[in-house]
Amino acid sequence: MIIYKELCVGCGRCQPYCPTRAIYFEDRKSVVDQDICYECGNCMRVEICPVDAIHESPHVYDYPRAIRKFFSDPCATHAVTGIEGRGTEESKTNDVTLRCGPGEVGIAIEVGRPTLGMGLRDIQKITRALAQSGIHEIEPNNPIHSMIADPASGNLKADLLDERVLSAIIEIQVKRDRLSAVLKTIKSVISEVDSVFTLDVFTMLEPGLTIPRQVIETIEAEGFSWRPNAKINMGLGRAWE
Amino acid sequence: MTHSLHREGTVASLEKDYAVFIYPARGFNYKGCAPKVRHLVEILYQTGPANMIATTLRRNMYSGVRPEEVLASVKEGCRVFSVFNSRERIKELMARFKEADKGISIVVSGLIDRVRKIAEEVGLDPHTINLSLGVHGGKDRLPPPDIRQFTTMCGHGMLSPNLVRDVIRKLKTNKVDTWAGSLILAKPCACGIYNPHRSEELLKAFAPLYTADRW
Repeated sequence: MIIYKELCVGCGRCQPYCPTRAIYFEDRKSVVDQDICYECGNCMRVEICPVDAIHESPHVYDYPRAIRKFFSDPCATHAVTGIEGRGTEESKTNDVTLRCGPGEVGIAIEVGRPTLGMGLRDIQKITRALAQSGIHEIEPNNPIHSMIADPASGNLKADLLDERVLSAIIEIQVKRDRLSAVLKTIKSVISEVDSVFTLDVFTMLEPGLTIPRQVIETIEAEGFSWRPNAKINMGLGRAWE
Repeated sequence: MTHSLHREGTVASLEKDYAVFIYPARGFNYKGCAPKVRHLVEILYQTGPANMIATTLRRNMYSGVRPEEVLASVKEGCRVFSVFNSRERIKELMARFKEADKGISIVVSGLIDRVRKIAEEVGLDPHTINLSLGVHGGKDRLPPPDIRQFTTMCGHGMLSPNLVRDVIRKLKTNKVDTWAGSLILAKPCACGIYNPHRSEELLKAFAPLYTADRW
């Protein structure tokens, strides 16, 4: 994002809206720190500027800067997934797609959330650890998949490593008996990640909204616990195409 | 990904906070889904959401957009995100969605025990669960938990902790009341699941704990 200095009246109203504190005063005008800005577009979308001085940078869709936009602006449609936002439809349409079928489990690691954002090197730390543990089942429809240069090492494309985004999600799908190995690997890399990450596990339910015992026992055995709130697909969808 | 399963707060507070998503599946039931989604949105409106958005319009309930405009914007593949602040309304909504039987995926994000009970009462058999195993890594760099109760209500992290502090400052200096402050906080949320009613209660609870200094 850019703020046109000749238009800015220095009121500072835009500054608290920036999720990453990239907007600051310089010579009594608000300016955007281009290294920090995620290109999420929030400052412009909220229409808080009284003189319309906030605009999208002309270079926002240049590669690799565009990565920031696609992973940070919830209104931008990702060039890889065709979906607005940074992930896939994951559990939300699983009653129709059966992407995560019986006996399987999905794991989502969203790096940078909540609040902090992250550099893509943090993602690489996790993809490397997963690759070293022999876990290569990264969801092919997730944009992270296309950013991996070498699946054997988990290395990302080198020209992306200095980019910063609000968050990015590593989605993995494995058989339930491999959940333990994935959680162990994630646990081993926690201290190396500079930012924060949220961890999700999704699975098909048994009747009566019963979480499969194998999944629960594995989560507990690896020293994790789950929050009392969750996202639940109510089973009302069906396919007709 | 709407981050609704990572909403933070006490159980008492989360009891008044249920996100609901209407979600057609690309390649499975996109074709011809628009009139079905429109019908579900009509039901949703009638049940009284605390907030909502259609992905084709990206303007929440408090932006001045009229329900007819939202309905008119629903096109093939449009997804609808909303939030409710009462268990009774969610139960009514699920019963009406079940009766409508449109074949579009419906997701409820909320306390597992409460959703289980609602599903049982309405006669639904939920299909998939997405569990939150919490936040990990450099948690010492995060804003305090009371601020996170506000920021995690925005599904895509668009609500800055500094805006929460700014609204608290405005509240303490009598520039806004708690409802107007909540609407300021709801504005950046492009996914329409920021719950201004819960936010108002949180502002009442937390504002006294803060000073009026600029963030």
